[in-house]
Amino acid sequence: MTSLTKNAVEIHHLVKRFGQVTAVDDVSLSVADGEFLTFLGSSGSGKTSTLFIVAGFEDPTSGSVEIDGRSVLSVPPNERNIGMVFQRYTLFPNMSVRDNIAFPLSVRGRPQNEIDRAVAEMLDMVRLGSYAGRRPSELSGGQQQRVALARALVYRPRLLLMDEPLAALDKRLREDIQQEIRRIHRELGVTILYVTHDQEEALRMSDRIAVFSHGKIAQIGSGSDLYERPANGFVASFVGNSNMLRGRLRGVSERMASVELADGTVLHGLSDANLIHGTQVEIMVRPERLIPSSSRAGDLTSLQSVEGTVIDVSYLGEAVQYEIATRWQQNIVVRNDSRASGLELGASAHFSFHVHDALVFPTQPSAS
Amino acid sequence: MPALVFLFLFLVLPLSSLFLVSVTEPSLGLGNYAKLLGDAAYGRVLFNTFFVAGVVTCVTLVIGYPVAWLLAILPARTAHLLMAAILLSMWTNLLARTYGWMVLLQRTGIINRTLIDLGLINEPLPLINNLFGVTIGMTYIMLPYVILPLHATLSGIDPAIMQAAAITGAKPRQIFWRILLPLSLPGIGAGCLMVFVMALGYYVTPALLGGTANMMLAEMIAQQVQSLLNWGLGSAAAFILLAVTLVFFAIYVRVVGLGKRS
Ligand SMILES: Nc1ncnc2c1ncn2[C@@H]1O[C@H](COP(=O)(O)OP(=O)(O)OP(=O)(O)O)[C@@H](O)[C@H]1O
Ligand SMILES: [Mg+2]
Repeated sequence: MTSLTKNAVEIHHLVKRFGQVTAVDDVSLSVADGEFLTFLGSSGSGKTSTLFIVAGFEDPTSGSVEIDGRSVLSVPPNERNIGMVFQRYTLFPNMSVRDNIAFPLSVRGRPQNEIDRAVAEMLDMVRLGSYAGRRPSELSGGQQQRVALARALVYRPRLLLMDEPLAALDKRLREDIQQEIRRIHRELGVTILYVTHDQEEALRMSDRIAVFSHGKIAQIGSGSDLYERPANGFVASFVGNSNMLRGRLRGVSERMASVELADGTVLHGLSDANLIHGTQVEIMVRPERLIPSSSRAGDLTSLQSVEGTVIDVSYLGEAVQYEIATRWQQNIVVRNDSRASGLELGASAHFSFHVHDALVFPTQPSAS
Repeated sequence: MPALVFLFLFLVLPLSSLFLVSVTEPSLGLGNYAKLLGDAAYGRVLFNTFFVAGVVTCVTLVIGYPVAWLLAILPARTAHLLMAAILLSMWTNLLARTYGWMVLLQRTGIINRTLIDLGLINEPLPLINNLFGVTIGMTYIMLPYVILPLHATLSGIDPAIMQAAAITGAKPRQIFWRILLPLSLPGIGAGCLMVFVMALGYYVTPALLGGTANMMLAEMIAQQVQSLLNWGLGSAAAFILLAVTLVFFAIYVRVVGLGKRS
């Protein structure tokens, strides 16, 4: 009734307290129909708690959850028409793979021929057709999670929740199943709420990412939003690699901040935040935006540079990563295409970067 | 090696001599067994024994299952309290607990008195000196033996499995019958076997709460040996009990398995 929107899920001012702990602290967000939205955050940041409230396993302390414009808080989990894949293996150990996938349809009392057809289709989708007769204990972790995915999708739920479904798997397998989940999302167009603490996974899979920190959403946006325009120092350091150079604010004009580092070097960077003259700030530069050059960058251009000595070189295949000691006693990381100019250990070099690739944030209160 | 010697001295030797007694007294042969299995009066005792053991097993399971489930899902502190209460009752002297039931169940006991005062009955109900009293007393005493193994099984089941079932659309009733109950079968099997086998040979409670009209096997053995000095028949009855127990144990091992090795 309320909505002309096409939002699948609306969460308003959600709060969840466990005694003294505030697990979810005033979270609001909406998920568009068919969207793949990921909750990204470190351990204990409230991702699972939020997901469990959407699923109906926990009641919120306050706030609301709407699915398709209707509040679901009084609806028990089994009537919410949601699918879920858990972090732990939750296949029914007393049933075969086939019966696990058939279970949601069987409890709905669907006719047997329909169940058989749907189960075969799902087994095909997760490419486990030949495993139908096995018990969960006879499957690998990755296979179990694919069966769990099939079980969560066989009844065509309105919404699919996934709570770190791949956390227990090794990297190769994880990437395979990530691909598979992406494909299934494309094919079925189901709305997905995905939880992970792996930023690479979040960037690779999601339409949008909500970065959780201490029960709050620090920022929500597309992967490139978070990477290119992080809203604060926390997001900047959490999403992707970054150098955070500590300094003191010298002045701001037209979003351009000047920062003086400990050794007197002055660097410039963009800033949206309200910065106070003279306070401690951080200037953030991504490792791959620092370009080695033999000489200082000219003053005319919007390029600026820092100088340092190479103290470590790691070859990473497609890239080379250098660790650089600087004159202001803070090491920085530089990452370049491996075919580009090779720097020797102990070499001294300038590293130039565009002012627009530098962002200035107030220093974060030292996190717990 | 010492274990084997121990087993021989304290198990094999006495059992063998008991068996010898059962086939030699009063005369050589299987006469005692034929009498026990053929005579209607003894048949009645055997029936009573199995009947009471069966009923006690069922009732303890029905009462014990929800308790074990509570123990598994309650917050740790409350669960510890409940567990302590169960263990405490288990460690209280058996006679004291049985006499407690006598006080409650007798003709002028609290239960009958209350019912009469409320005007629900005119005559005291026969709650004691019969199989009803025996069943009640034994159910109470056996409860922990079904709760403890069930609790071990239930607390080993990941609650996330139940959540997974719920989110796929299963109603609580369906989750119970199709997931929880099948997964708790090992605990049910272990608990029931324990209770059934213990109940088959139980002596104190039937002796105190039961009547002379409807005896159970252990009482009969005691009577044969102590009062009638009929060692042969008593030994044969003990052996029948042992054989039946072994059969049930074999069935259990067959169905559930001893360890959790698959
Ligand atoms: N049932 C509970 N009782 C008490 N505190 C809880 C409970 N569930 C969660 N918490 C607390 O709430 C906070 C958020 O927990 P939550 O499980 O949502 O984190 P998360 O982001 O999913 O972390 P992880 O990545 O480790 O799974 C944590 O501090 C946690 O200790
Ligand atoms: Mg979690």
